Amino acid sequence: MKRQLNHIWRLFGTALSFSLFGIGGLLLGLLFFPMLFLVIRDPLQRQIAARKWIRRAFCLFIGVMKNLGVLSYRIHGQEGLTVPANCLIVANHPTLIDVVFLICLFPQADCVIKSLMWRNPFTRFVVLAANYIPNNDDAALLGACTDRLQGGGQLILFPEGTRSKPGKNLRFKPGAAAIAVRAGAILQPVLIGCTPMTLTKGEPWYHIPETKPFFELQILDLTRPDDLVGNGMERRRKEKALNRAMEELFRHHVGA
Amino acid sequence: MTKTELYDYIVEKLTGEFEVEESRISMDANLYEDLEIDSIDAVDLLVHIKDFTGKKIPPEQFKDVRTVGDVIDTIMAL
Repeated sequence: MKRQLNHIWRLFGTALSFSLFGIGGLLLGLLFFPMLFLVIRDPLQRQIAARKWIRRAFCLFIGVMKNLGVLSYRIHGQEGLTVPANCLIVANHPTLIDVVFLICLFPQADCVIKSLMWRNPFTRFVVLAANYIPNNDDAALLGACTDRLQGGGQLILFPEGTRSKPGKNLRFKPGAAAIAVRAGAILQPVLIGCTPMTLTKGEPWYHIPETKPFFELQILDLTRPDDLVGNGMERRRKEKALNRAMEELFRHHVGA
Repeated sequence: MTKTELYDYIVEKLTGEFEVEESRISMDANLYEDLEIDSIDAVDLLVHIKDFTGKKIPPEQFKDVRTVGDVIDTIMAL
C-alpha cells in the first residue's frame, strides 16, 4: 500500500516537475533570454551570463525533483573539481535528464544541441545567448567542436550519440574521440548511473519505476588521450584506438 | 574533371589515408559495409573531394550516399 502511494506520489511529482520545467522554460525562453540581448551587449559576457542562468534553472529543476521525492542523487568526485581549458567532457547517456546534471556540474561548457532549437521561438534566444553549437551537419560540427576546444573552452559530448539502449552493450560513435585527438584535448570522463533505470530511450516519462530512482554521477580523473593509447600513432589510427579505449573505460565502470 | 579522374582520386585516398585494400574498391562497394569507412572518415573524404573538385555534397544528399558510385554520381550532378 505504502509503495503504491509512493508510486502515485512520484507520478504526480514527476508530472509537476516536468510541467514546471516546461512552463518555466517557455517563460525564460520568451521573456528572460531575449531581454539578455538588450541588457548585455557584449556576446561573451552575455554567453557567460546565459550559461549561469541555464545552470540555475537546471539546478532548481533537480532540487525540485529531489524535494518532491521524485528522485535522489549523489555526485562523486566533485570536491576540488577544476576543469581545464581544452577539455572534452564525455559521459554515457542512460537517461533523458543526463544533460541537466552535467550542466549543473560544468556550467560554462559548450554543448551540442539539436539545430531545431534555433528555429523554435521558445528556445531560440536561450541557445543563441548561450552560444551553444547547433547539430547541423557532420563536417561543420566536427570543425566547430574542435575550434571551441582549441579556443580554450570545455565541451560536453555523449559519445554514444543518443541515449543508451538498455540491456545493450555500450557503443561509442567515432566523433568524440576524433574531436579529442584533433583538438589535442584532455578528457574528463563522467559516469552516469541510474537505479532503477528510468527516462530511457523509448520509455515515455510517465513510465516511472517501482521505486524512487537514484542517480549516481562519478567524475573520474582527467585523462590524457596519450595515456590511453600512447602518442606514436598516425592520427586516424589514434582516433580509432582512442574510441575503443574510451568505450572500454566506460564499459569497465558501467559493467556494460 | 571526368568520372574516371574522380574515381582514381577516391581510390588513391581510400588506399592511402583510409588504409582500404584496393581489391575491395569498386563502384558498387558500400563505403560503410564493404570498405569499413566510419562517419568521421566519410566527413574527411568529403573534405578531400571538395579540395579536389571544388564541389561540396550537401548534408541532406550525403545521407543517401552508400557506395563509391553514389559519391561520384552525386558530385558529377552538382
